[in-house]
Amino acid sequence: MSLLEVKNLKKIYTTRFGAQQVQALSNVSFSVDAGEYVAIMGESGSGKTTLLNIVAALDKPTSGDVLLDGRSIVSIGEKEISAFRRDNLGFVFQDFNLLDTFSVTDNIFLPLVLAGKSYDEMRRRMEPIVQTLRITDILSKFPYEISGGQKQRTAVARALITDPRLILADEPTGALDSRATDELLDIFSRINADGHTILLVTHSLKAASRAGRVLFLRDGEVFHQLYRGDLSNDEMYARISDTLTMLMAGGRK
Amino acid sequence: MSRRFFYSRLALSNLRKNSRIYAPYIFACSVSVMMLYIMLFLLFSPGLHEMDSTSLITVMGLGCIVIGFFSTGLLWYTNSFLIKRRKKEIGLFNILGMEKRHIARLMATETVFTALLSIISGLLLGILFSKLALLALLRLAGLQTQFGFSVPLPAVLITLLFFFVEFLFILLTNIGRVHLARPIELLYGGSVGEREPRASWLLTLLGVLTLGAGYAMALSVRSPLRALELFFIAVMLVIIGTYCLFTSGSIAMLKAMRRNKKYYYRTDHFTAVSGMIYRMKQNAAGLASICILSTMVLVMLSTTVCLYFGIDDALRAQFPRNIGVTGINMTAEQAHELERRLNEAVEESGIETEGVVSYRYAYFSYSGTQSDSTIYLIPPEEYERMGGEPVTLAENEVLVYSPDEDFRESTVTLRGTELRVAGVLDSLNVAESESTSTRVSLNGMPLRYLIMREDTIMRIYPETNDLDYYYGVDVPTSREAQRELHVMLSLTAGEYSQELPSGVFARTRCAEDARGYFIQMYGGLFFLGIFLSLLFISATAMIMYYKQISEGYDDKVRFEIMQKVGMSRAEVRKTIRSQVLIVFFLPLLAAAVHVAAAFNMISRLMAVLDLVNLPLFIICTLATLALFGVLYAAVYALTARAYYRIVE
Repeated sequence: MSLLEVKNLKKIYTTRFGAQQVQALSNVSFSVDAGEYVAIMGESGSGKTTLLNIVAALDKPTSGDVLLDGRSIVSIGEKEISAFRRDNLGFVFQDFNLLDTFSVTDNIFLPLVLAGKSYDEMRRRMEPIVQTLRITDILSKFPYEISGGQKQRTAVARALITDPRLILADEPTGALDSRATDELLDIFSRINADGHTILLVTHSLKAASRAGRVLFLRDGEVFHQLYRGDLSNDEMYARISDTLTMLMAGGRK
Repeated sequence: MSRRFFYSRLALSNLRKNSRIYAPYIFACSVSVMMLYIMLFLLFSPGLHEMDSTSLITVMGLGCIVIGFFSTGLLWYTNSFLIKRRKKEIGLFNILGMEKRHIARLMATETVFTALLSIISGLLLGILFSKLALLALLRLAGLQTQFGFSVPLPAVLITLLFFFVEFLFILLTNIGRVHLARPIELLYGGSVGEREPRASWLLTLLGVLTLGAGYAMALSVRSPLRALELFFIAVMLVIIGTYCLFTSGSIAMLKAMRRNKKYYYRTDHFTAVSGMIYRMKQNAAGLASICILSTMVLVMLSTTVCLYFGIDDALRAQFPRNIGVTGINMTAEQAHELERRLNEAVEESGIETEGVVSYRYAYFSYSGTQSDSTIYLIPPEEYERMGGEPVTLAENEVLVYSPDEDFRESTVTLRGTELRVAGVLDSLNVAESESTSTRVSLNGMPLRYLIMREDTIMRIYPETNDLDYYYGVDVPTSREAQRELHVMLSLTAGEYSQELPSGVFARTRCAEDARGYFIQMYGGLFFLGIFLSLLFISATAMIMYYKQISEGYDDKVRFEIMQKVGMSRAEVRKTIRSQVLIVFFLPLLAAAVHVAAAFNMISRLMAVLDLVNLPLFIICTLATLALFGVLYAAVYALTARAYYRIVE
C-alpha cells in the first residue's frame, strides 16, 4: 500500500459573492510510496500550491480524497487536525516561516513543545539532525542573525524533528542563492536516502531534477509523469527541460 | 480629476484608508481640545469670578497647566505611532515618483484635515459640556448655581492657539523624519528585523535603587512636613524606577524564566515567554506610562474623594469644638470672668450644648532635638479643671502628653532649661472628643502638651505677659443652632473685650462659618481629580488601543506560522490570551503596589490638609482601586477585541 494516495482531487474556489468560480484542481490523482522523493512541477496558477495545501490539511478539497497510511485526512476534525499535522507532516516553506521571537534551537523545538515532549527528549532528537544539517554552531542565534541558507536548514531541522511520515516542501529553494540551493538539495537527497518521504513543489528545474519522480501539473490536472530510473541528475535535468518545453508549446502527451 | 484638489483628495482618502489608526488619534486630539477648553472655560467663566472664590480659580489654573502638558505628551505619543505605521505607505509614494516636497505637502494637507476635524469637534463638545462641568463644579464646591450660557472668547482663543502650535510642531517633526529617511528604509520601516532586547543590568540596578529609595521614603516618613518635602522627590524616583524596571527588569526576569528549561519548554509558557521578551522592548515604555498614569489616577481620585468626604474631620481638626472662644493675654481672674459670662450666655440661649472645655495655656513652636513641634504649656490647676488628676509639680518638673509619638525621654529642654519629666499622660481632655484634632497640629508639626507650673512658664518665656485662654463648646443639635449660639457668644466676648485694657481681648470662631471655604476648596479639588482622571483614563485607553493594534499586526504573522507548524486555533487563542493578559494587567498590578507603598506618605500629607481619618482614607483608596480596576478591565476588553480582529 502506498504512503500517500491522492484520489480524484477537485478544488473550486468561489469568489465572495459566488459570481465567479475558479477551478484550481479539476481531477488530480497520484500516489507516493514510502521512501519516495517526488517533485511536482507546473507554472504559476497550475494548482501546485492548492494541491500542497490540501495534502497538508491546511485546506479542504471540493471533492476527492487524500489518504495518508490509508487514513483519510480530509475527514479529520478541526480539533485533531493540528496534532495530526504536527505528528505526521513536516513542512519547509519558501519564506522559511521561522519565528523571529525564537532562537534557532527554539524554532526547531517548536513542534515538539507543542506536542508536550520533555526537554531532554527534545535535545536528544535534535542532536543528530543539527549535525547532519551543519547548524550546530548557530543554535543560539536568532533568525535575523543568520543567512537564508541557514534559515532554510533550520526550517528543515524543524520539519525533521518530529520524524514525520511525509515531508512537504513548497518552493524551498525559491529564496536562496545558487550555493545555498545546492546545499539544500544535497540535504534533501541525503534525508531521502535516510528513508524520509519527500513531496516537493517547485518551479526550479534544478530542484526537480534531484527527485526520483516528477509530476507535471497543468490547468489543475496531472499532465505527465517522469521517472528517474537510472538517469543521472544531468540527464534528468534535460528530460524535465524537454517536457517543460513541450508543456509550454501546449502539446499533447 | 482637477489638479487643484489632488492633494486634498489624496489626503482624505489616506485618512479614510487608515481610519483604524487615525480615528483614535483624532478622538484623542478632540478629547484633549475639549478638556482644555472646559478647563479654560471654568477659569474664565464670569460665574466663578463673581463668586470671588480665589481658591477655586487657583485650582482650575493648575488644571489648565496639567492638561496642557499632558495633551502635548499624548499627541506626541500617538503621532509617533501613526508615523511608524505609515512609513511603508509614504515610502511607496516616494518610490512611485513623489518628491519629498510633495510628500511634505501631502502630510501638511493631512495634518490640516486632522487638526480641523479634531479642533472643531473638540471645541463643539467642549462648549456642549462646559455648562455641565460648571454645574458639577458648583455643586461639588457648594456654590449657588447660576443660569445662562456663555462662551468666553479668551478660552476659545487660547485653545485654538495652543493646538495650532501643537499640530504645527507635530507636522514639522513628521516632515523632518521623512526627509531624513531613504525611500527603501521607509518601505521596510515597519518590518526591520528587530534585535532581541538585551537586559541591561545597570538599568535594572538603577531601577531597583530608585524604586527602592522612593518606596523607602514613602514608607518611612513620619512627619507631615517632611512628607511634603519628600513627596515630589519620591514621585520622581518611583517614576524613574518604574521606567527602568519595565524596560530592563522585566526582560531580565523573562530571560531568567527562559533559562529555566523545565518551565520554558511547555506549551503554555513557550510562546508566551518568548513573545513577551520580544514585545517588552517596544512595550516597556508604553506599559510604564500606563502604570504611572494609573497610579496618578488612583492617588488623585482617592485623595480628593477622601478630602471631600472628610470635610467634617478637617473641620474638627481646625476646630476642636464647634465654637471656640480665645482670650489673649488674660490673667486668671479675667479668664474666669469671661468663662462666667460665656456660661451665662449659653444658659440664656437655651441651646443644647456638650463637651464644654476651658483652660489657660501658652503656645509655642519649639525646635526639638529630633523634630520640630508645637507645644502647649498648661499649668497644673488648669489641668485639674480639665478633669485631670490633681498633681503637685516642683518648679522644674513637667507632665508630658505627646499624642504623636511614643514619648520615652526623661527630660525636656525648653530654651536651654532642662525640665524633669515627672510623668507621661496617655490622655488629655483637650479636644479629643473625636480624637483627631489632638493628633497633629495645624501646620502639620507633631504636637506636645506639657503640664508645668505657671511661674516656670514665665521664667522660661519672660516675654509672655499672661497666658491665653480657650473656651470651647459643641452644639450637637443643628448647624443653625450652632450659628445662633456663635453670634451670641461673640457678642458676649466683644462686650467683655471693651471692658479690658488694650492688648487683652477675646475672639470667637465657629466651625460652621468655615465650612463653606472648606467645601469650595475640597470640592474644587475633587472636581479636578475627577476631571483629570477622565483625561488620564482616556489616555490610558488610547495607549492600550495602539499597543493592541501594533501588536496585532506583528503577531498575525507569527500565529499564522504557528498554525502551519501544528498549533491549533484553540492553542493559539489560549497563548494570545495569557500573553496579552499578563502584559496588560502588569501595569495595573504595579500601580496597585505603588499606591500601597505611597499610602503612608499620602496619609501623612493629608494631615497637612487637616485630614487624619485613616479608615476613611483606606476605604476611599480601596473603592477607587476597585472602580479603576473595573474601568481598566473594560478598556482592556474593548481594545482586545481590536487585537483579535486583526490576528484572526
